[in-house]
Order: sequence, then structure tokens, then C-alpha cells
Amino acid sequence: MIFEERQIEKNNFSSRAILLFGLIILSLLVVLIKVFSLQVSGYSDYQLAALKNKNYAVPVQALRGEIFDRNGKALVKNEPTFDLITRPNFISNIDSFLEEIEPVIFLSQAEKNRYKKLQKEKAFVNKELVLKKDLSDEEIARFYVRSFNFQNAFIAKRYRRISDYPKIFSHVLGYTSRTDDAYKSMPEIPRSHWKDAELSYAHGLIRGRTGLEEVYDHYLSGKHGQRVFEMNAMGQFVKSLSFFEPVKGSDLYTHLDIEAQQSAAKYLGNRRGAVVAIDLESGGINVLYSSPAYSINQLSNGMSEIDFQDLINDPDKPFFNRALQGRYPPASTIKPAIGMYGLSNDIVSWDFVMDDPGFFTLPETGRIFRGWRKGGHGKVDMHKAFLVSSNTYFLSLAYQADILKLSNHFSSIGFGQKVCLDCFDEDKAFVPTPEWKYSMMNVGWVKGDTVNLGIGQGYLVTTPMQLANYASLLATKGEFAEPSLAIMDNQKKSFKTWQDDGFDDSDWTKMHAALLDVIESDYGTARSIRDLKEFQVAGKSGTAELVSLDSKEAYQEVRTSELLRDHSIIIAFGPMPNPRYAVSVVIENGESGGAVAGPVAIEVLKSLINE
Amino acid sequence: MNRPFQKIYFDPYIFFSLFFLSILGLFFLFSASNADINIVSKQFVYVIAGFIIMILVSQPDPDIFRRISGLFLVFSLLLLGITYLFGPEINGAQRWIRIGPISFQSSELLKLAVPIFLANFLFNKKLPIERKEIIISLATIFCCFYIVFRQPDLGTALIIACSGLFVLFLSGLSWSFMGGSLVLLVVSSPFIWNILLQPFQRQRIATFFNPESDPFGASWNIIQSKVAIGSGGLMGKGFGEGSQTQLNFLPETETDFIFSVIGEEFGFFGVLLLLSVYLFLLLRCFYLALSARDRFCRLVIGGLSLTFAANLIINLCMVVGLLPVVGMPLPFISKGGSSLMSLFLTFGIIISMGTHKKFLPQ
Repeated sequence: MIFEERQIEKNNFSSRAILLFGLIILSLLVVLIKVFSLQVSGYSDYQLAALKNKNYAVPVQALRGEIFDRNGKALVKNEPTFDLITRPNFISNIDSFLEEIEPVIFLSQAEKNRYKKLQKEKAFVNKELVLKKDLSDEEIARFYVRSFNFQNAFIAKRYRRISDYPKIFSHVLGYTSRTDDAYKSMPEIPRSHWKDAELSYAHGLIRGRTGLEEVYDHYLSGKHGQRVFEMNAMGQFVKSLSFFEPVKGSDLYTHLDIEAQQSAAKYLGNRRGAVVAIDLESGGINVLYSSPAYSINQLSNGMSEIDFQDLINDPDKPFFNRALQGRYPPASTIKPAIGMYGLSNDIVSWDFVMDDPGFFTLPETGRIFRGWRKGGHGKVDMHKAFLVSSNTYFLSLAYQADILKLSNHFSSIGFGQKVCLDCFDEDKAFVPTPEWKYSMMNVGWVKGDTVNLGIGQGYLVTTPMQLANYASLLATKGEFAEPSLAIMDNQKKSFKTWQDDGFDDSDWTKMHAALLDVIESDYGTARSIRDLKEFQVAGKSGTAELVSLDSKEAYQEVRTSELLRDHSIIIAFGPMPNPRYAVSVVIENGESGGAVAGPVAIEVLKSLINE
Repeated sequence: MNRPFQKIYFDPYIFFSLFFLSILGLFFLFSASNADINIVSKQFVYVIAGFIIMILVSQPDPDIFRRISGLFLVFSLLLLGITYLFGPEINGAQRWIRIGPISFQSSELLKLAVPIFLANFLFNKKLPIERKEIIISLATIFCCFYIVFRQPDLGTALIIACSGLFVLFLSGLSWSFMGGSLVLLVVSSPFIWNILLQPFQRQRIATFFNPESDPFGASWNIIQSKVAIGSGGLMGKGFGEGSQTQLNFLPETETDFIFSVIGEEFGFFGVLLLLSVYLFLLLRCFYLALSARDRFCRLVIGGLSLTFAANLIINLCMVVGLLPVVGMPLPFISKGGSSLMSLFLTFGIIISMGTHKKFLPQ
């Protein structure tokens, strides 16, 4: 090649090389800009993504608060048990591991199968798996001697929700059970992480389902802690990065009284029924018992399916909370309320006297309403009408009542509405009105319906809770506190007042004297319980008829079927003259109110007063 | 000329750039391999051997490379043939050849053999290059490309094709021919997509254009690489502190994705430093190419250094998500003896061609 050609070639090469190297530099610049956009503009997003990759937060279960009675004795507590826990992903041969550990810890075939199944599922993640719950002291001792053989197993504390009085407080305390929506309490932890929660309870993540456990669940629950693990791409936990301790839930102090509840249970025995007792000063509910009961310890800590089905299918319906949901006709216990209505509406006065022939004839139809005593009680004034529980007197009083005003009166003393401030699933029961009857039965309200209400029969139904509230109203002469179970520091007592222009202080005094004589006088219908105690008690008993019958003889026939027998009811308060407690007792198919329900009420009052 | 290095051909700029890159490489590899001292010490041995090879190769006169260029190409192709017949299959590809304890990727040699061969073929041709010469060159390039592509190793095959095309371009390929080829390439692209590409290669390209379509499958690598780099920020998380790297969220940290490790642990400033060293190295090669003694040396230096640059840029673009994932190591940093040896060999030849001066008659 000659020189010129070489020069042309060199220039050609140079320009093309400059072009290519220029492109290379440009490309490097593009890469640098891209890196800048990732690392500087996109930094916060990508940093978050990197943290999300590696940080794995799991909740650490908080202990629930405990529940105490009014004397500070524990009703429900957290009881530690010792469980054998393993690290499944470090155990390579599961069968030989189980073989080795069997001489130390007894394992049933079901336990072994359950463990093998779960081990497969959990072995991938570095997570704990419980092999056996609630080890005996002997097993613990045996394990510790040989623990060097089992590096991937250890014994740790897990709690159970335990009551020392599992049956008698079952309805009021309620039970806890495993929950699927615990994740809602900590939105910062993804839902899928909850399966790896560090548990404090052997039964897992729990929440209150019924009773106080449910009503005060938010208060008892506490705040779950959090442990953040560093996790690698294979999903294995590398190390613990941070730990926030769980905060135990608040302890709940209640007005409940263990001894009074125990005597309610003892004297009710295995009969179906309910007892409610209220502390008049605070409105605190000291006793809330429904019989028959069930064991909350079993329900809260895992119950076998068979046992559970037995409870469900029990004809006595142990899950049914009779104290709050049982609907009973108030029977003669309604008479003080009818008296209050008559006096405040000037239908009768304390001095009014009428003749009681033993029955009441409805003028419009000639229908006859019988009293409980054949031949009647002769000349009866209001005091005596209470004492002897004269049906004729209150039937004829109700005859003169206006049904709308009477319904309002019932509502004003707490019937047909929830009266307890913090009870679980309380029933409103029912106060009838003409409107209701027309819409339900398509027939109008008749005078006979009103007359029936005068003796607490007919359409009016009440719960034992409402009856106790009513007794509390009578005992406090209308200045009563609303019933509640829990004692809260910041809670103001909620007082209610029942008053009427036509019903003054002297009326209250006479009312108390009459109700006192129901029990304490020689002629009172409930005098049979007079000598069971050393203090004086006022009250009113009742016998609720389940079937409407015209004669005693007819009743003797239905009596043979237990479930058709009358309900036995009493409301009472004492000690007189300055009452401190009011109580209501209902015994299903217990018959005579004073003689059957009366002693239970007295025993409950005794254990409350003698403290 | 009485310079102290009269007898030793040596370029301090390239030498110290490569020295610095190798040191950085060992340092990064230590972190990328989760502090695996075995991997790092093995790489260290390769680096030492590489420097020795580079210095040895840079001593002889460039004419030797010209004379043996045909033989070199035949030898390289022969090795590929042996690989095809006897090489073990790893991950569905036959790329490796094993002689005793040493195994290497035979296609690496083609990256050198093709540009040197073409430079030898073209350096004395008149401008503009004639059609016959173009066809011979392209046929050579395509043969070599296709053999490697069938292994299959798309990344290396592309680099080999680039290395040949760079030389062809630098030696004076007419613009009209290039324009025509480009049109042809666009027209035939559906054919390339459907017939030539393997399903997994097609999938890689598909996920590149829509990475969010399959975050746990094929595009996992790209996403995790971006997260690693992005979360490094300006200063990086610190040596051995990159969670993406250390907890194995980032794949292939020792090889293809080692740049992401650097981005995560040393941040934007670390990246800036690394790219500056590469840029400096490339500029030095550019200078040597322009000042080389004859057309053959110019073409070889230009072809080899541009091939090196293409290798670098494809890797960078891949890990930051600008290109689909193709197997391509980051030069001098990624783990791997074959790649390192061929790189040192490349720079040995560049130094030889850039430092031997011939007194030319006016």
C-alpha cells in the first residue's frame, strides 16, 4: 500500500473507532443513569422490598388477664403446664427420634400419628412443634436426665385457662376458644405469619367466646408482642433481629362472690333453674348461676367431640343460660308491681277492703279466674292481699287497669328490656301490648288478657335477671343501681330511679312491711322459710302455671309429667329493715314458690350477709 | 531508545487497571460467595496465573499472532469439536472441556481467534472491501457463532459474532452494506425467534419485557437483582452486609450477578468507582488502537477491546434490567478461570500490539 492509501485507511479506522468507543461510553453512561435511578430515585421502594424479603415478623402471644371475685379470689387464672417441644426441621429421621424418646415420654399412637403428619408440614421452617402437652412431673424428671440425647427437643412452659370453679361459674365467666382472626389485632404482621406465632397458651391463639371472657375480651386480651426473624431465600430463620415483649391483658375484678355462688349451686342441686343476686349499694351482681352447668376448663382447653356432643344433646340444655335467657311468667311475684300500679293510679288504696270468695268473675264474659285457695281469704285489704297472695284482689285490680299504662309500668320497672350493663347475650324477655297481640294472633286484646297479667300469668315473661333487678328496685324503694358484673376503676355507678307522684314514701314503707310479712308473719305464704335464718327477709314467692287449669284436681293429673309442673319462683331482699342484697330464684317445674325456691334464696342471702 | 523497559513490553496503565480490578474482584467475590475462602483462593491463583500469561503473551512481536491466526482458529474450533463429543452436559448445555483437574470453556478462545483471524484476513485489503471478502468474513463469523450457539450458549455466541463484526466494521465495511443487512435482520427476526431460539431463551426475553408477569418464576432474578442494587442506595449496606446477597435472595452472586452484590454493598459510589476503572481501561485501549504501528494491530486492538467492552456492557445492562438475562460474566470480577484466562490473554495481545513499534519508511 502506498502512503496516501495508508493514511486514508488510518483516518477511516480512527473515525469508525471513535464512533464505536463513543457508543460504548454512551452505553456505560446509560447504565450509570439506570443505576442512579435504582439506587437514588428508587431507593426507598427497593429498600422496603429488600426488608420485606428478609424480615419475618411473628406475633408473640400475650397472656390474658385473670378474673377475680369481689374478695380478690381468682375465678379464672393462667396455669402453666410443661410441654415437650421439638424443632422439627433439625430432626432428620422422625421414626428413630420417636423410638428414642418413647421410653422417656409415653406417647399414644394418635399422638405419634399427629406428630408425624405435622412434622412433614412444618419441617421446612425452623419452627417449634409440640410433641406432648402437659407432661407429668415424672416425665419431666426423666427427660431432664436424658436431655443430652435429645438436642432438638426441650421442655417449655405453656399456659392453660383454668378455673378452680369450672362448673358453677361456667355461664357467667364463659369460655375461650381458638380463633382464626387474631391477625386483625396486629395489622403490621401479615396474616400468613400467624401460623408461626410464638404461643403462650397450649391451646393456641384464643379469644373469649361467651360470658365475661367475651364481653371483656378487649380488656382481658392484652397486646401481642412481636419477634422479627431474619429469613433467607429458602424460608429458613437465620436469627432473631428484634423482640417486643407482649403485654399481659388487664385483670378483671368482678362483684361475683364465690361462696354465695357455691351455695346457690349447692341448694339448687341438680334441678334446672337460675339464681341471681345483686348488691343493692353498687348494683354489683354477686351471684349469676344457671343450672345445669358445664365445665369451662374442658371447653377452653380442648374438649373431645363426644363430650361436646353429649353437652349439646343433653335434654336439660346445660349451655342454655337460664339466668339471662330463661323466659318465665313472673306469677305472684308480679303482685307488688300491680299494687304499685293500683296505688299510683288511684285504683285502690291501702285501706280498700274487698271480699275474696276464692275466685274472680270477669263481668264481660263470665269467665272465672280461680285463686290458689278454695273458699278464698275472706275480707282482704292490700297488706293482707300480699300476705296471703290473694288472686281475687289483684285480678280485680288488674281488671280496672288500662293495658297501655300497665305495659309502660312494666317497662318502667325493667321488664321487656336488658337490665344488666355487661352481661353476655342477655334476653329482653317480653312485655305484651294490644298492638303486639293483634299483629301476632290477628285478634284484639281482651279484658281477660289484662286480668291475667294481675297475677303474673299470660303473655308477660321475665328473666331471672329482670326479677332480681325488680327485687332490687323494690328493696331500694326505687333508687336502685343498674346491675353489672365487673368493677371498673373509672366506672361511675349508674343509678336509676323509679318514682311516681301517686306512690310516696309511706307507700314504700307499707310495701316493705307487707313483703316482710310474706315471710316473717304467721300467715305469710312463704312463712316456711322464716326459721332458716337469723335476720329478717322481705320477698314475694310465686308459682308459675305452665298449663291453665280450672281446679286442683285437674292439676294433680298433669303433675305426673314433670315438665308440665309449675315453676317455683321467689324474689327476696334482706336483711330488713335495711336491705343490702336482693335475690331472685327460679326453679323449673319446682312447684310451690315459697317452699322450693325460698330456701335457695335464703341460703344465698345468708352467705352474702354473713361475710 | 534506552528506556529501562526496553526489553520488556509492558503498559503500566493497563497493568495497574487490571491489578486494581482483580483486587476489587477478589474482595467482592469474598462477600458474594458468603465468605467462601476456597472460592476466593482458587480465584486468586487464577489471577496470578493470568498476570503471568498476560506478561508472557505481551512479549513476542505481533507478527507471530498474524502468522498463527489461521492455526489458532482451527485449534479453537477443534477444541469445540472435542467439547461437543466428550464434554459433560451441565444444566442442559455442553460448554466445558476437562483435561485432568483443569476444566475450561472452549468457546472463550473463539472470542480471540475470530477477530485475530479476520484482522489477518482483512488488514492488507484495499478500501472499500470487496464483496467476496465480506462474504468469506461473514461466513466465518456465522460458522463460529452457530457452533457456540448450538451448545447452547447464546451469550458467548453473540460476543463471538460481535468480535468478528467489530473487526469487519473497523476494516472499512461499506455503510450501504450494513444498512442492507439491518433491513434483512429485521425482516428475518420472526424466523430467528421461532426457529433458532430455544424455549428457555424465548422465555427469558419474554419475561424481560414483562417482568411482573411471573415474579417467582423466570423474572425472579431480574427483580431480586434490581432490589439488591436499589436497596444499596448511595453508600451501600457495607461489606458482607447486603441482605439480598447474604440471604441468597439474589441468584448467581458469584458469577453473572456479582455487579448486583457490588451495587447492594457498596452503593452508587462503589459502582461509580468500578465503572471509572473500566472506562479508564477502555480509553487506554482506544489510545493504543489509534497509535498502533500498523493496520493489523489497529484492527486487533480495536476488535478485542470492543469485544471486551461489549461483554462488560451486556453484563451490566442485564443485571440492571436493561437487557434480558443471558449468561455473561462481569469481566475480571466474576468467578471463573476460563473467562479470566481469556481476558488476560486478550490484554496480553493488546499490550503486545500496542507497545511494539516498527520504524516505518516514509
